[in-house]
Amino acid sequence: MVELRSVSCIAGGVRILDDVSVRFQPGAFNVIVGPNGAGKSTLLRVATGLRAPDAGTVHYGDRLASELSMLELARARAVLSQQVLPAFPLPAEDVVLAGRSPHYGMLPTHRDLEIVSEVLDLVGMASRRRQSYATLSGGEQQKVQLARVLAQIWSDTANDDGDIAGKVLFLDEPTASLDVHYQLHVLGVAAMLRDRGYTVVAVLHDLNRAVQFADHLMVLSNGRLAYETARPEDVPVEVLERVFDVRARRLRDAGGDGAYWSFALHDASDRGVSRRTDSQSGGAPATPRD
Amino acid sequence: MLKALSFGRVQWLLAIGLSGALLLSAAVGAFSFTPAAMVRHIAHALGWGALSTSDTLARNVFQQLRLPRVLLTALTGAVLGVSGTVMQGIFRNPIVEPGLVGTSAGAAFGASLVFVYGGALAAPTVIGSLVVPVMAFIGALAATALVYRLATRFEKVDVITLLLAGIAVNAVCAAGTGFLSFVARDPQARNITFWSLGTFTTATWRGVLLVGTVFIPCYALTLRDAKALNVLMLGEDEAAYLGVDPRRLVRRLLVLNTLMVAVATAMTGVIAFLGLVVPHMLRRMRSSDYRFLLPASALFGAALMSVIDVVARVIIRPAELPIGVITAIVGAPVFLAILLRQERDGVARHG
Amino acid sequence: MLLLAALACTPRDDGAAADQPRVVSVSKQINEFLYAIGAEGVIVGRDLTSVYPPAIRSKTSVGYHRALSAEGITSLRPTMLLTDGNVGPDVVLQRVKDVGIPVLVLRPGAGVDSAQMLMARLGREFHHEHEADSVIALWRAGMSQVEADSARWASAPHPRVLMMHFGQIVNDYLAIRSGGTADRILRWAGGVNAVDSLGGMMRLNPEAIARLAPDIIIATDVGFDRLGSVDRFAELPGVALTPAGRDHRIYRVDETEIMYFGPRTPAAVEHLAQLIHDGTPTS
Repeated sequence: MVELRSVSCIAGGVRILDDVSVRFQPGAFNVIVGPNGAGKSTLLRVATGLRAPDAGTVHYGDRLASELSMLELARARAVLSQQVLPAFPLPAEDVVLAGRSPHYGMLPTHRDLEIVSEVLDLVGMASRRRQSYATLSGGEQQKVQLARVLAQIWSDTANDDGDIAGKVLFLDEPTASLDVHYQLHVLGVAAMLRDRGYTVVAVLHDLNRAVQFADHLMVLSNGRLAYETARPEDVPVEVLERVFDVRARRLRDAGGDGAYWSFALHDASDRGVSRRTDSQSGGAPATPRD
Repeated sequence: MLKALSFGRVQWLLAIGLSGALLLSAAVGAFSFTPAAMVRHIAHALGWGALSTSDTLARNVFQQLRLPRVLLTALTGAVLGVSGTVMQGIFRNPIVEPGLVGTSAGAAFGASLVFVYGGALAAPTVIGSLVVPVMAFIGALAATALVYRLATRFEKVDVITLLLAGIAVNAVCAAGTGFLSFVARDPQARNITFWSLGTFTTATWRGVLLVGTVFIPCYALTLRDAKALNVLMLGEDEAAYLGVDPRRLVRRLLVLNTLMVAVATAMTGVIAFLGLVVPHMLRRMRSSDYRFLLPASALFGAALMSVIDVVARVIIRPAELPIGVITAIVGAPVFLAILLRQERDGVARHG
Repeated sequence: MLLLAALACTPRDDGAAADQPRVVSVSKQINEFLYAIGAEGVIVGRDLTSVYPPAIRSKTSVGYHRALSAEGITSLRPTMLLTDGNVGPDVVLQRVKDVGIPVLVLRPGAGVDSAQMLMARLGREFHHEHEADSVIALWRAGMSQVEADSARWASAPHPRVLMMHFGQIVNDYLAIRSGGTADRILRWAGGVNAVDSLGGMMRLNPEAIARLAPDIIIATDVGFDRLGSVDRFAELPGVALTPAGRDHRIYRVDETEIMYFGPRTPAAVEHLAQLIHDGTPTS
């Protein structure tokens, strides 16, 4: 279980994070949203242990993140970033194998190679495993990255080290440049991991996806936690309007079982300019894939 | 075609190629030796004089001049090959090699300082013969560290800045070396100029011992980081997430690498482009996986350098061409080819 | 395939008789002397820039004297490496010794006397004492004549002469300073060196040349031939502003005439005297 207590980060005289305390719910899909510049990236870097906070503490279970070695952290959590491009051509399976590197010494074991196959299957890239990563499309590359990240914290309680309960999957705006298919795929896989008992922490830019997938929603604004809820579908309108500086309307879809939001800039109608709405593509939210 | 073979198989092929190159290097030159003669000369050196030949001059040449040269050439080729491979991993770009990031120029400057000002120090004693390599190492490390510092602001390696920083540091070192040759008295200036072009003519057993003693541990330690180098290819943040401390890794590798290159450069002068060509060809032939590249670049570098030295020795015999001339003629087009391909593939900006 | 290539390069075997000396001689001066005393038969190899007398060009070159290769020298199977000490890289002499070839370093020294001793030494070394002695005798006579003739110039005006040599390593023109061989020859010829300072050679720049204001410029062969004609030479920056440049009193002299003392020195003095005093070159 990962927890931040009174964390602050300062850079160039600016408080990027200001006394933030969050507890990521174990075995849940935690989502952080917020406008650009709210401090989401920094929060993630602190939560993943990449950067030490200037004030406050980060806890992994009953231990401090600062006490854990980089290797111990690597076995406890994995991070899927927006876009990763290796400097040299590599087959996709080698990229995935890199995810197992915290677990083996000089050479990968048979089990490591098995895991690589399993995760490639899971993301549906098994048939392309030999292909050079650089020649894949953006979405396919992200699938491979997802596989790598899964491989890193893969746990079959019968065989592998540690149990699932302590493992965290972090997602750092992983779908920013992907089309809706890949967005849903990535988040769907993450949700499936949550079902298996992993903890998921995702920074998302798309409010509708956030609401769709989150069990626990946190809204960050100006370095502070502005709002937090275990019922994301009930986020108050005024919170979104204040934090994102937009006009927001909650809509229900025809089936009535999901909320989604429609946004507009504040002064569009005053100027007689045609209303620009931002309703996310994809229409009614699809159900997460199993 | 080679892609179908396992890493091990390809490395075996490279080892066989190296053996052939070594044989050629031992056989050919102003003097020529048949394999039978080589065996006799080596046997004699080991104390089995019964097989010795009456041609003592040829034997002396083989033992004193040719054999150390063959070994020094191969070792230097291995050093430069591995160094180019590691540097490309550290900077995550295929255009990098010791000549471009200031290592060689820094080593040249350090060594030139000794040539000009350290006259009394660089006596042919055991300590004295270490002064030049030590100063070369200091110069090389300072230059490379500066380039790295300049090129990795904001936690990313920016290729353009890397090349520019390399140009700048190279220019400063070259200016320093140039100034030294300007103020140097005649014999010292000769040393500097001659040595700037790279040569194996002055190969001695002591030089072989020095380079070998430095290369083997540095290479072994570098080999241990093969996995980490693979991980580093994904990026510094990704490496950190996977438990590899990128800063420490890079620092460690830079020191080892610079040590190897500086010592080799101190013995043989500046030899550019080999560190570029070797990893480039190996990546295209087989793989970018460092578990393959590190041993392969040592083998291939040694073989290639040996062949180049043979050409240098033979083409205007009994005189010799400087090595640097040939590596530039071969290497510069390869460099351009990589650059053009990078632009085309659009990966030039990625760190 | 590589083995075949190696085998195809059979070792050279000249089958030289044990008592016939085979000398690799790296020095312009020593090579000229060997020819002068008739001992040129011992030479099997020379350095690249030893080109006097022209017959020496048929001898194998072992490369530039500052970029020698021990193996290259050794491959000619010499019985000796002979040099005046001006060789590079530094270690090459030691390397040649390491393979068992004796190295003889004969430094010519500063004066005519020591140069003559060098010739005598060469005569003894290669058993041409008789020839050496007669050449030296002629040479001595010539030098006495030089001394006597130089009295001509005692009361005459001494033109300021700048001697320009082309330095290949620095790729620039150098001025020959006072106190050396060329300067001595110049003084015997009744000229005065435009450069006062003592030493070997000095880097030049256009302003320095203009300030020196020589009446006459003597240019050695390589430096002159790069430009090809007096007119082009006179156009060099700085040279154009000198009396020598304006009057086109620029003369080409072979380097080997003035850079070391030898049996041709008396003739060289006379040559130089003709150039700087009445401007007509001797044949």
